[in-house]
Amino acid sequence: MYRLIADCGSSWSKIKDLDSGRIVICPTSDVLADANIHFEVATGHLGKDRSDKYENELVALAQGSLRLVNDPDFTVVDIGSRDTKFVSFADRKMRKLDWNQQCGASTGFTLELLGRYYDVDFSKLRSTIDRIPVTCGIFAIERIFDAIIRGEAAERALAAFIHGIAYNIHNFAQRPDTLYISGGMCENRCFLESLRGYCEVIPLGRNVLLEGLAEQVEQSL
Amino acid sequence: MAKRMFIGFWGCPPRHALARASRLCPFADFVDLDVDMNAPATGIVPDSYCQIVTNIVDNAFYLKDDLRLIVASIGEDKCDGGRFAALILKDLGFPIMEARNTEFEQEHISICSSNLPLFEKVDRIMDGIIHPSRRKVKQITPTHGFWGVPPHDMELLRLFPDTTHVYGWLRCVEAGVPADLDVEMHVDPGIPTVFYAQTFCQKTALARYLADKHNGLYIDCDGPLTNSVTAKVTAFIRLG
Repeated sequence: MYRLIADCGSSWSKIKDLDSGRIVICPTSDVLADANIHFEVATGHLGKDRSDKYENELVALAQGSLRLVNDPDFTVVDIGSRDTKFVSFADRKMRKLDWNQQCGASTGFTLELLGRYYDVDFSKLRSTIDRIPVTCGIFAIERIFDAIIRGEAAERALAAFIHGIAYNIHNFAQRPDTLYISGGMCENRCFLESLRGYCEVIPLGRNVLLEGLAEQVEQSL
Repeated sequence: MAKRMFIGFWGCPPRHALARASRLCPFADFVDLDVDMNAPATGIVPDSYCQIVTNIVDNAFYLKDDLRLIVASIGEDKCDGGRFAALILKDLGFPIMEARNTEFEQEHISICSSNLPLFEKVDRIMDGIIHPSRRKVKQITPTHGFWGVPPHDMELLRLFPDTTHVYGWLRCVEAGVPADLDVEMHVDPGIPTVFYAQTFCQKTALARYLADKHNGLYIDCDGPLTNSVTAKVTAFIRLG
């Protein structure tokens, strides 16, 4: 019998086997299609009905980042397919938190969609100083299309869009000097380069919330 | 079957206005038009608008046949949204009695700092506008704070422990001074407090400012409680 914990995001699920330590990343649609899969602890609303214990994503993010970061004062932001969350700590106690599912939402999902459509590899895309304001994702996409219609290369337009996202996220996290990043954007070179125009950036990878769940399992033993 | 008769009101009208309305319509019951009644949408106010003021307008039409009078708070004790709602409803033929509550002599506060569940605290405070209560309630030291107005979706209040004190406009209402900004700005220092305002309400500026000032959590909510607001409040209470 596998002991599994999971972070079931809107697009991707991160599943850890507690015994072997192995981590699998798979589309959440695959998890939902498998009626037999069940988790000891899960986070992400799509994991609610599949687990013995469900954990709030902000709590998982906070606990996971405390496991991975040694600084007394720090800010971590998790950028998902459809939302963005941040937690900031002072003396390793939660100072501020927020979760944005509205404006600027769907950023991860939107980027994946645009990347596939224009066949752009974000791990190789260079950043640009140009920035498309991303007050609203819909308006920003319109500007991307306008730029491409005017003859601009898709890569450059997408890089400007990503710069807009980076600017927004830095503001959303309350403009820290150093920002720890959680989630799929850790693999987006263009995003990391753009964000480095505003602060020091330390990627933590995609498993921060899983670490938070693992912390809970260990504490309960 | 006896016909229902209502005196509608919103906000926290002064007692003398409510007493006068009661004398004019002695057989009518008071009904708070701020509260969600699942009334059909009239579409009179824009979609992107304060849900509470939307409730006021939609509820007025929903109860139109039974409403004898509306006591409309139009002063600083409510907001411009209330003032415009009164204007629009009067123009549409509703009987409006305008009222401003400029009372600044504070009454004793006990419900805000009691051990009642937060939902019940807020319910009793708002009920006290029409039916002032002298019931004794047990006082407790706060572990958390809720600052703001009665939310459109009151289920938000069930996320808080019973040891939550109430601040903001709700505290003003219990103290009988709904326009008193000093009372509205007051929070107990060091108590993890959630600062709530209705989305599209001007009070969001005050809520956010105070949340930053006091290291609290700012939230705003439009219609039904959202997943992210629930998660933020729950996480804030657990981690704070």
